[in-house]
Amino acid sequence: MVRISRKNHQYRVLVAMAIYVAVLLVVWPLARSAATMWLKLVYALAPVPPILYVIWLMARRVLTGDELEQRTHLIGLGVAAAVLSVYGIVSGFLAASNVWSPDWSAAALIWIFPLLIVVYTAVRAYAARRYGGVACDDTGLSKEVNFLYLATLFAVIAGYLYWRKGDPHDAGLAVGMAAGMFGCALVVTLWRRLRKQTPGE
Amino acid sequence: MKNRVREQRELRDWSQGDLAEKLDVSRQTVNAIETGKYDPSLPLAFRLSKVFRHPIEFLFEPGKD
Repeated sequence: MVRISRKNHQYRVLVAMAIYVAVLLVVWPLARSAATMWLKLVYALAPVPPILYVIWLMARRVLTGDELEQRTHLIGLGVAAAVLSVYGIVSGFLAASNVWSPDWSAAALIWIFPLLIVVYTAVRAYAARRYGGVACDDTGLSKEVNFLYLATLFAVIAGYLYWRKGDPHDAGLAVGMAAGMFGCALVVTLWRRLRKQTPGE
Repeated sequence: MKNRVREQRELRDWSQGDLAEKLDVSRQTVNAIETGKYDPSLPLAFRLSKVFRHPIEFLFEPGKD
């Protein structure tokens, strides 16, 4: 198995996640009004392939890493599994006791994978820093670029939903996410500038 | 664990990237070993020993613990 560069890996993940979000907001809602059961099934499962592709990319990244990289991946995945277990059991109890509506329970299930990615990424970055550096050897996209990419993606989705006169809740969510990501890009840029200006850092 | 990896690398005028390539690991891993933040596995220690042509016990010394 050939190791791909971190930048290449990140581009692939970002493109897959862009497709996932677009499918989730544009194709997936069609499942409720689909005429036949088969069409309903196709629309309902349309967001799954990009997720499977991202999981395959992650597995490839772990398998082609050296021993220290594999260790940081393992720490990230271990903590993410623990957090998801707690999330799963809390959601399960809330759903089983009817504290949550069925809609909320379904939403909780959909958020499992994004939560796994967020916790895994954060913990792995923290573990890698403890070993004296960034999570991987080769230079990837900077955090600002990542956040700006996500901000643009959510802004495009919001624009599309507004144009199609889609669900105002979804459009509002996309606008909020775009603003949040843009804010993160701004904070990271300012933080980097401050660090550069601080002597001895 | 103390080690002489950086000392031996610099003696040969290799960069961390050069050593990483010889060991088939990332530069990050070489840096972590040199700074004592990560103790390599036995196979990697043997690869270091082979690259520097020194026994493992010369390259690595046990710490206080």
